[in-house]
Amino acid sequence: MSSTLPNSPLTTYVLNTGDGVPGARMALSLHRLDSLLVIWNLVTVGTTDEDGRCPGLITTKAFTPGMYKMRFETGQYWESLGQNSFYPYVEIVFTITNPNERFHLPLLLSRFSYSTYRGS
Amino acid sequence: MHSPYSPLTTHVLNTGMGVPGAHMALSLHRMDPSTSLWNLLTTGTTNDDGRCPGLITRETFTPAVYKMRFETGQYWGSLGETSFYPYVEIVFTITDHSQKFHVPLLCSRFSYTTYRGS
Repeated sequence: MSSTLPNSPLTTYVLNTGDGVPGARMALSLHRLDSLLVIWNLVTVGTTDEDGRCPGLITTKAFTPGMYKMRFETGQYWESLGQNSFYPYVEIVFTITNPNERFHLPLLLSRFSYSTYRGS
Repeated sequence: MHSPYSPLTTHVLNTGMGVPGAHMALSLHRMDPSTSLWNLLTTGTTNDDGRCPGLITRETFTPAVYKMRFETGQYWGSLGETSFYPYVEIVFTITDHSQKFHVPLLCSRFSYTTYRGS
């Protein structure tokens, strides 16, 4: 039995600002820094939907304080649109101290630029 | 003989406070295509203007995948503040190394932006 918990405390949203559309069908992965070994542990792999979102990134239970990394396969994404890009991938590393809050980690992206911010 | 102009430049702006991102530690790395490991090329610190001249020479600037790492967490810590991002790494591909590339970082405690300039 697998159930997707309805509300991941961590969400993302990819926007293709170059074309003015959602960043749909982009592969991404969430990683957590191992507290002992200084290596990244893979937590989730996923792909954004038609709307550029990826529900079910992590459960509240698994969302412990620590350092996380969200990796977006942006190079792959632009290639699938027949374009090249300055960035082969984008990795955003962030610190979670209070996992009871909600964290929204969007990526606004064009072939030659990107932005992110901490939302909720 | 030292070429005065690095073909790769950066500029850090502290958009949270409306000032240059001065005295921020950074490093430039190149990916070794055979091992997929990062080789450290340069370490530096931004000046009062948020810039870091002399990042790389034209001869060393071969086509490859590069990574610029900015010690943003350290920077905000030195200002007595916390930040959402412990560091920022920007990975980019250089195919035509005869061009000039400007990789700026506009950052606040809870947001950052970069773009390919020249």
